[in-house]
Amino acid sequence: MATSTTQVFAKALKLSALLVVTVAAVCSLVGYLLVGVDGVLTAMLGSAIALVFTSMTILSVLFGARLPLGGFYGLVLGGWLLKVVLFGILLAVLQRMEFIHGPTLFFAIVISVLGSLGIDSWVVLRSRIPTIDSRD
Amino acid sequence: MDAVNIAELSGNIAVVGYGLAAIGPGIGVGLVVSKTIESIARQPELAGKLQVTMWLGIAFTEALALIGLATPFIFV
Repeated sequence: MATSTTQVFAKALKLSALLVVTVAAVCSLVGYLLVGVDGVLTAMLGSAIALVFTSMTILSVLFGARLPLGGFYGLVLGGWLLKVVLFGILLAVLQRMEFIHGPTLFFAIVISVLGSLGIDSWVVLRSRIPTIDSRD
Repeated sequence: MDAVNIAELSGNIAVVGYGLAAIGPGIGVGLVVSKTIESIARQPELAGKLQVTMWLGIAFTEALALIGLATPFIFV
């Protein structure tokens, strides 16, 4: 795997985690003001879900790139499939939980995901990846 | 079922939403990955650059899936 590419992914992971922590803090405050402690828990859960969801993509590309093309394809798309199934089940379970405040969870997830997208785009635009890169 | 209703469905419409949230981004991610593999097979030396671009494409496409899966929390 090209070293500069690894650096891009590592930087994106780090900044996304920072952003999600910030979003979790802000959404927790809003959730607390809306519904109390349940709102704090919901906001933290929502942000954690978004962080795992977005970082799984980065990790699948990062580790997949070390495999042959078939393995790369399998890891990225298999990871995607696993992720959608897991989050479908997780969100269906969360809907039945008493303490979940729907709007807080939704906005915590959406703001975290959109923020991570912004961070990802910014990192890629700012990165300098040589056209022909050296291999590890 | 009475005589007027020739087809009757029961269940939660959110299930259809889950399906739609998965199928669109699923096709999108499949296209992004397949084109990247095709490009890497043609020019393996560009793999690093192509993988970063692919990751950005996947990230944007799958955001739709996550938002789609989370919509029952505000619409239902």
